[in-house]
Amino acid sequence: MKFSNNTYRSFFVLCAAILAFFVIGKADAACFECRENYTSVEQVEVSDELFNVKCSSKTGGVLWWGDPFYGTVPMGDMPENIEADYLSEPAVVKPRVDYEEGTSDHLGYFPCSNCHGVFVPTPRSSKDRKINAHQDVVENSLELKHGRGAIWCLECHNAKKRDYLTSHRGDLISFNQTQKLCGKCHGQIYRDWRDGIHGKRIGYWDKGAKKRWWTCTECHNPHDVEPAFKALVPESAPHLPRGMDNADHERLHVDHSGLSHGDVTDGEPTTASHGEAATDTTAESGAH
Amino acid sequence: MKTDEKKENKENLEKEENSCCAPDNGRRDFLKTAGVTTAAALTGAGALLSGSDEAEAKFHWAEWFQKNYRLMTDEEKEAAVTRLEKRYSEEYDKNVTVDRTEAKDGVLFGYALNIQKCIGCRRCVKACVTENNQSRENTQIEWIRVIRMEKGEFSQEFMDQGSPQISGKHGIQSGGHRHKQAGVVLEGQHYYEPEKVPEKDAFYFPMQCMQCENPPCVKVCPVRTTYRDPDGIVVIDYNWCIGCRMCIGACPYWARRFNWGEPNLPKEEMNPKTHYMGNRPRMKGVVEKCTFCVQRTRKGRYTACVEVCPVGARKFGNLLDPNSEVRKILDKKRVFRLKAELETYPKFFYFMD
Amino acid sequence: MRSIIYFAIDLFVYSWKGSVKYYAWLAFLSFFIMGWAWGNYEQITKGMIVTGLSDQVSWGLYISNFVFLVGVAAAAVTVVFPGYVYKHKPSRDLAVIGEMMAIAAVIMCLLFVVNHMGRPDRAWHMIPSWVPVPVFNGVFNWPNSMLTFDVVVLNGYLALNAVCAFYYLYMKYVGKEINKFFYIPLIYLACVWALSIHTVTAFLLNTMPARAMWHHSILPIKFISTAFAAGPSLIIIALFVLKKYAGLKVTKEAINLLSLIVTWCLGIALFLILSEVVTELYHATEHSYSLSYLMFGKHGLNALVPLFLSAMFLMIVSFCLLLIPSIRKNYKVLPVICVMVFVGIWIDKGMGFVLPGLTPSPIGEFAEYTPSIVEIVNSLGNWAIGIMIFTMLAKVSVGIMNGEIRYSSGELKEIPSVPETKPKADKRGLPWEKSGWGSKSE
Repeated sequence: MKFSNNTYRSFFVLCAAILAFFVIGKADAACFECRENYTSVEQVEVSDELFNVKCSSKTGGVLWWGDPFYGTVPMGDMPENIEADYLSEPAVVKPRVDYEEGTSDHLGYFPCSNCHGVFVPTPRSSKDRKINAHQDVVENSLELKHGRGAIWCLECHNAKKRDYLTSHRGDLISFNQTQKLCGKCHGQIYRDWRDGIHGKRIGYWDKGAKKRWWTCTECHNPHDVEPAFKALVPESAPHLPRGMDNADHERLHVDHSGLSHGDVTDGEPTTASHGEAATDTTAESGAH
Repeated sequence: MKTDEKKENKENLEKEENSCCAPDNGRRDFLKTAGVTTAAALTGAGALLSGSDEAEAKFHWAEWFQKNYRLMTDEEKEAAVTRLEKRYSEEYDKNVTVDRTEAKDGVLFGYALNIQKCIGCRRCVKACVTENNQSRENTQIEWIRVIRMEKGEFSQEFMDQGSPQISGKHGIQSGGHRHKQAGVVLEGQHYYEPEKVPEKDAFYFPMQCMQCENPPCVKVCPVRTTYRDPDGIVVIDYNWCIGCRMCIGACPYWARRFNWGEPNLPKEEMNPKTHYMGNRPRMKGVVEKCTFCVQRTRKGRYTACVEVCPVGARKFGNLLDPNSEVRKILDKKRVFRLKAELETYPKFFYFMD
Repeated sequence: MRSIIYFAIDLFVYSWKGSVKYYAWLAFLSFFIMGWAWGNYEQITKGMIVTGLSDQVSWGLYISNFVFLVGVAAAAVTVVFPGYVYKHKPSRDLAVIGEMMAIAAVIMCLLFVVNHMGRPDRAWHMIPSWVPVPVFNGVFNWPNSMLTFDVVVLNGYLALNAVCAFYYLYMKYVGKEINKFFYIPLIYLACVWALSIHTVTAFLLNTMPARAMWHHSILPIKFISTAFAAGPSLIIIALFVLKKYAGLKVTKEAINLLSLIVTWCLGIALFLILSEVVTELYHATEHSYSLSYLMFGKHGLNALVPLFLSAMFLMIVSFCLLLIPSIRKNYKVLPVICVMVFVGIWIDKGMGFVLPGLTPSPIGEFAEYTPSIVEIVNSLGNWAIGIMIFTMLAKVSVGIMNGEIRYSSGELKEIPSVPETKPKADKRGLPWEKSGWGSKSE
């Protein structure tokens, strides 16, 4: 038993290493769509001098969508009584990329069957507990922040078919339709998402027209909810107005109250130029 | 040139006349001088206009003489657009199309921005520039401005400070935390440049043209070059603008920009899919602003800023369609309009979850 | 008809003839006009980028001068109104000088507006389609755009003053009595019209809620009161110069009335400024940012504070001096005070009014604007053109009023004799500048 565990682990580490290689290798060739290390897209000339995307030379993010549907697939079968808009309009999603092709998004679609083969270990009981496994993919699997300790892996992952997620009834949910899973708990946001208020769509604005929908995991990492919203590098500031050498005045916030507020600002500036606070910050505002 | 030569000849003739017959009185003298001066001036003007280099020669007189776009007949519009396509294609070495799709019936464009979600990454700003062919530098034009607003610092330190300084018997009349700028739009920072956004102590407030239903800029325009189209977009006929900048003065949202010099738009960055009212390259001395990407939205596409927003804070749609994203937001969320007290009735709404 | 043509030619010829000093003065002005030609060439070929303006501060030196000069133009009424409505004869005799100043000022206004425009070549877009000019089918957004009102009133005022002044001169030229039924209604109209040009210019600015500093109803009356202080000051200075160098007959009564008008209009202006400051700053709001930026600077930016302080210093000191009758009636000091009033109001109503109105921008951005060389050169050139026009117009006016130019029943031969018969007429020559005053008023 111990031996087999070790075998599993070493094999898994190997797989993860290969995966990591591809993820990093791919990062330069493509630009990220919304978040760094989440979904990405390669720039392709779709027709004469027209590109599917244009990317930022500063941040490496997509700056402009020429072809909003590049690399997408139909969102698929949505149950009529729950799902709303994309019944009446062609909705597409970007599929979770196959491991075989060597590409991956941030979560790394990583079919269990790839390592485990057909012998995916079936848990002895459905009781939630901490599992000392898969820490390569889910760093904090021992202390899963998501749900603040109230849920565990098989709350979301299908116990029997690990290449799928699971519904309340144990039905299969595709990794391309994570909203069905997340909507189990986050109902309010799910409703907003269906109405197009939460989340993101690109394509054609009109009702009934084709849109690409971003699904939950294209922006949020369900394993690592803190920070739910990883800080990213902003695009460069506008040029200063003519006649101005700097923008110090807008950071000074000199007031007329007679307080030595100016000194406070000089000492520990809460200014725009200081971004170190931001790097490991949870941006609550962006989360939900 | 022929007319110029004629004028010169005439001038010479008059000179000869002057030299042979000495003037005997002030009035005739004056008349002659006036004649000569006029001729010389006309010759000079002619030379200036005709004797110009290749780039200048591309300048189409027909374009200069064209009418206010709205008053053109369909044929004239077509001619204007074709003329522009030709000029742009030559200038930018690519096949530039100038669309002139009119507003559709039953469509009133609206926009909603989730101020709670915005992380201040400015990708909308750059997307807009990529899409809309703004001048890249000297002077740089960006239609969207994102303002960083501080969350404010409130501390024990200021509690018994203020004015008058130490309270004494009569109490403080204005407290030590006055002038703390949390939530004050006018005290925001425009040129923030942190390593990463969002920052812990700030939130962000993007602004652009609000496409007002009661636009102050339209009212003040002396030549009606800017006007509200039926689908609610306030557009500008760049070929009709006289550059008086009244509209810049009148806009409470600082949405309008001026082409101070000849715009700097690199050929390779030029977006060849343009609209007459939208992102076609501008000329110096005219005003421009956000048009809700009229070249895209009138063809059904989302605006460039909506598509690029990494947090999905930007929403766009048809205000007349009860199922549109914008209408759903108006139904479900608390919205506000910026500077609502000015009664400009923007069709650009801010909301929070 | 013949007499009208001769009138025109005589005036033109007369205006170009004078002493060496006169030519020196014209040459001095021409120097600035050459600079103006260069500046305009730069601006037309390269665009407004040669100015110091930005999207944040998009109106600058040009509009400042425009606003100020509209006031100067309106101020003609300070001699015309007492002269014709209150039958104050000393003023009536000088009314034509005021009208000539109005003409020159309006022309300067138009020059400044053209300089301000990004596309002056498209000015024809404002010619309404019903105006019978072939090809040019413009659109005039009247009555929606306040700017169109301004175009109408300014050009109307120019025409009105030109008609009044030249009709008056023409009748003197041919030696006939003026037709009161034609002339007096026009004069009355011109008086009202003078108020309208400055009122409309104020409306142009204060009807924009986006610019809180301008958006208050005190603005039109403040404009008019400052105009009626700065304008008559300039007229007084001009009268002194014309008296000394062109032999214009100026009476003490006329000067005293004008200086009294300056005094009280300046007093009213200061009171209005006080009202504005107290109203805005007692409990300062976001809408007071502009004013407090002007007065105290904000966030360490205080480029405009010297403008405010110098304007206030000049206006308050000159007001206090003018209040003392013995100083006001001392003609050695009066021109100096007039220059102080003029400069003070030029600052207060020009850059000191336009720039803070635009700073901060409606969304709170600060930018400090400094006029570029081209802007300064063009502005100086516009002033030089205006002053040259006024010089010439004033010269011919004085010439006619002193009887030196007369219609001589069409006999051409008599015309060359005109310069010879005016020994004292062509000695104009010194610039009316502050520096010139010390020696001049002796």
